[in-house]
Amino acid sequence: MTAAARRLVTAAVTLVLVTLIVFALLVALPGDASGDDETARRLPDEYRAALRAQYHLDDPLAIRYARWIGDVARGDIGASLREHRPVAAILRERLPASLALNGAALAVVIMIATPLGIGAAWKPGSSLDRAGLAATTALYAVPVFWMALLLQWLFAVRLGWLPLFGIEGDERAGGSLARTADIFRHLVLPVTCLSYGSLAYVSRFVRTALVDAAAGDGGRPARARGATALRYVTVHGTRQAAVPLLTLAGFLIPRLVGGSLLVEEIFNVPGLGSLLFDSVLGRDVPVVLALTLLSGTVTLAAITGADLLAAWADPRVRHGR
Amino acid sequence: MGGERLGPRLAVVAFAIIAVSAVAAPWLAPEPNRIDLESVLAPPSTDHWLGTDGLGRDVLSRLAHGARVSLGVGVVTALVAALIGLPLGAVAGYRGGVWDGAVSRAIEAALCFPGLLIALAILSLAPPWLARLPDTLRLAAALGFLGWTPSARYLRAEFLRLKTGEEILAARAAGASGLRIVVRHLLPRSLAPILVTIAFGASAAALGEAALSFVGVGISPPTPSWGEMLFEAMRHMGTAWWLALFPGLALFVTVYGWNGLAEGVRNWLDPRPRAL
Amino acid sequence: MSRGRIFGAAALALAALTLGCAGPAAHPRTDARVVIYAEPSSLSLVGNPDNNSAQIASMISDGLVAYDARGNFAPMVAASWDVAPDALTITFHLRDGVRWQDGTPVTSRDVAFTLSKVRDPAVQSRSWVSLFADVTGLETPDDRTLIVHYSKPYADALDAWRVPLLPEHLASKDSDFLNGAFAHHPVGCGPFRFVSHEPGQNVILEAFDGYWQGRPSIDRLVVRIVTSDRTGYESLLLGDVDLMAVPSDLWRESLSSHRAVRLARFVYYRLMLWKIDWNQDGSNPFFTDPRVRRALIFALDRKRFAATVVNGLARPAAGSYLPESAWTDPSIAPIPFDAAEAGRLLDEAGWHLPAPGSVRVKDGKPLAFTMLLVAGSQEIADRIAAWMQESVRAVGVDMRIEKLEWRAFQERRKTHRFEAAMASNVVDPTPDQFDLYHSSARNGGFNYGGFSDPETDRLLEAGRMTIDPAARRAVYWKLQARLHELEPMSVLFQFSQPVLHDPDLLGVTASPVGLFSFTPGPRAWHWAGATPSR
Repeated sequence: MTAAARRLVTAAVTLVLVTLIVFALLVALPGDASGDDETARRLPDEYRAALRAQYHLDDPLAIRYARWIGDVARGDIGASLREHRPVAAILRERLPASLALNGAALAVVIMIATPLGIGAAWKPGSSLDRAGLAATTALYAVPVFWMALLLQWLFAVRLGWLPLFGIEGDERAGGSLARTADIFRHLVLPVTCLSYGSLAYVSRFVRTALVDAAAGDGGRPARARGATALRYVTVHGTRQAAVPLLTLAGFLIPRLVGGSLLVEEIFNVPGLGSLLFDSVLGRDVPVVLALTLLSGTVTLAAITGADLLAAWADPRVRHGR
Repeated sequence: MGGERLGPRLAVVAFAIIAVSAVAAPWLAPEPNRIDLESVLAPPSTDHWLGTDGLGRDVLSRLAHGARVSLGVGVVTALVAALIGLPLGAVAGYRGGVWDGAVSRAIEAALCFPGLLIALAILSLAPPWLARLPDTLRLAAALGFLGWTPSARYLRAEFLRLKTGEEILAARAAGASGLRIVVRHLLPRSLAPILVTIAFGASAAALGEAALSFVGVGISPPTPSWGEMLFEAMRHMGTAWWLALFPGLALFVTVYGWNGLAEGVRNWLDPRPRAL
Repeated sequence: MSRGRIFGAAALALAALTLGCAGPAAHPRTDARVVIYAEPSSLSLVGNPDNNSAQIASMISDGLVAYDARGNFAPMVAASWDVAPDALTITFHLRDGVRWQDGTPVTSRDVAFTLSKVRDPAVQSRSWVSLFADVTGLETPDDRTLIVHYSKPYADALDAWRVPLLPEHLASKDSDFLNGAFAHHPVGCGPFRFVSHEPGQNVILEAFDGYWQGRPSIDRLVVRIVTSDRTGYESLLLGDVDLMAVPSDLWRESLSSHRAVRLARFVYYRLMLWKIDWNQDGSNPFFTDPRVRRALIFALDRKRFAATVVNGLARPAAGSYLPESAWTDPSIAPIPFDAAEAGRLLDEAGWHLPAPGSVRVKDGKPLAFTMLLVAGSQEIADRIAAWMQESVRAVGVDMRIEKLEWRAFQERRKTHRFEAAMASNVVDPTPDQFDLYHSSARNGGFNYGGFSDPETDRLLEAGRMTIDPAARRAVYWKLQARLHELEPMSVLFQFSQPVLHDPDLLGVTASPVGLFSFTPGPRAWHWAGATPSR
């Protein structure tokens, strides 16, 4: 078996173990998904039993897990215990908004933080470096719901420039261009809230990666050949930093599922963060497992991909540690 | 690079003030939970310098006591995270091979877990000895358990970088034991990143506590915590600005202060010129 | 919705940072936009209903009867009914000219079909199924007549027949009812037709031209799903929403906000109460004694709390029978604030103060207990608990607070592993509170504290069987006196619900069950200048 294949198999095993632990924790939490809602009258016992039987809540845990993983292997991720419909249908509803929100936030973070980091790495210790560091650190320290309420108040309430919440207006008579513009306008504030906190981390990451790369093997000869600092940073530094950046993406992606809860709640975006929150609180085992599977697959794919790329790009890694 | 770092210094000074008031809170403000229904949501005045909350409790007193929670949760969280993460990172970085593979896979697995589920599980499935702890400590334990990966990752990377250094190779050639190399040579050189991750972890915990309060699984009343205060403030945004402003500022200064502290520690311990 | 567009939007989100603005759209004044706080769990009218689904269902389809604005039964699809002398049979006479929204007439067979669906566990009709527990059989001798047989007389038998009716010819086709075509596009016989549902965003309804009571004046009803009440409030101020029930903090804010001046406002009392369950099964030494339970309530200055903390939007309650109900004895007053009486009762129960300012002790045990709270949604609970803790400390009681998320809280209550637990609770307008107090309701019902009193059991059973209203009222008045004496659970407050709405939206009224699920409800809404009902 090649190293790459071994890595992939390990990742798959990791994922299965994660879902197993998530399943165990979720069923161990007090309460389950069957009828703890506030109803006006008590349910007849036989009806309650029928409800539980429908979702196999009283089956042995090992059997429940085995059934789930068997279904997943066949491509069926089950039905929600709270909403009583296929998890796949729920994800299909929630995924677009979440992807739009988090994808845009990731793009914004990388587009702002990378130049900041490159600028800082160009002349470490310069006033540009320090100002960038101070500003992004300050932003990181602002609690997100504080920022969210402030932005809502300023741009939606005071100035009226942007919509207060939601992902789309109710009225969608306009053409596709108008509709796209409408979705933009709805995304601006939540995307801002999701991205500003990561600027510090990511710009610092870029800066360190570049500085370290420069201190390493590739930098000095290039310098000695008389490359300008700017050319050095953009050509040599960036190439050296590609692997760390991919690694970074691996660590940022898990936030895409759970990390946007507060922003989703405040801006009323029906995304995966609030779905995960409601499903954990509602003990909706299939939905939580599906979300774990989804974010786990993407996360592990990114990290494993970065590792494999690093091994391929860097002969030192390729030839053993 | 000495005198020009005004921003971080200011932050550290403000942070020091918060830390001192946290320590001195029982004397400065003995009754953070005293309810005064006659002065509900009173704006700042000479009686209540920072105003009162929805139950007429003094915001300044609660802020000072909340500092104990926020700083305490921060420190304990960071320590729990370090206790789990550092040994794993050290083993992975130093021993490499299978060990490194195992730890790296564990880190990846940890990233795949829904944090809220883990926090809830720790808070509600705690064994009796853990359940008897004050809920601030339990919360810190939960947050720490969630946040061990950065310290493991940093220490691993640091050890990987250092262990091929000339001095280490020399020590190894001289027959020093692995433990001795780690304790005498590697750890002191890694102190900077260790302390930095602890400080960053503490600042993340302060925000995490606020976020958990916001989703309603934080600290039980009437214990004042900044997260709980900010959550209440959101409901009074339009009328009682003082409720949002002061805890928000305090949280901001604390997070910024932890970061400033981390930067300061890094520059002090590891003045490697980070220039091209 | 188009996924592609949203992805496109994501790619261009940066550009949006600099994108221009557009003001709020002008009011067409034929639609009304309202807010609910959570996604309806199902639109299938009877399937898997939560409160939000039930409210939407009640606008799409009528039942045989409905609550009126006072919580009494009003005839809807059933024009009249006869109750047999033994109360084991009810004959409903269906109204002529009631049509489904596809034009087909409503028949008694549709009613029978509705019951069969409610009883199917796959339909998950949890809030309706228990109301039909005593129904043994149905007869549909003709399209207009429905005969219902019961296993035992039940004075509130009509309550079940508020269930929104299902059209058999449309709703019987789906093999999986909750995920079928009908559940995604429900059709009823109510005043509004279903138009569309954007998950997490809105449900849109339209006036039904052929409604048997005449077309509603509001052409289009947009039910916005807004998870954050502050966000909803801000959009009300911006004119993007026309009507919204607000929590007390936002009500307070609206009173002093110049932006809220233009809004019309009113307050109504709902059948919702804040109650404390006292565990009296003997697992703790405190709450088996009614004097301790009563003493803790005497220690609370509820009037002052209501006036200051929630701006008067609550009132002390005398028990779970609320003044809105016609079955409530108005002579029973809430326990007043009297710290001296609290101390006297505790002394009498054997809990003595070793020293002033300390905690009371009996047989070497301190009077120290833990109150469970639900974490999350209802932050008023935190304030009530903190205030109660301070109040009972003044009479020498040490109350600790433990906050749990809902399922964990519920699990502790259901398995009786708690000392005291506080939560909000909704009661029906009907007087039958069997499941709250009957000793058999300890397991499976809502008598979490394990209260057990033969006299109470007897009265609860009699109340269910007594059909004659006057005799029945007498039974319930007796029950309320008994409950007042024993205080098996404590109802601290009844909260009122403030409503803000556009002043041009007229005809808005409320009932003890809310703004939607009663007659006339939104059917009576109309904009200024429009005729109330076309």
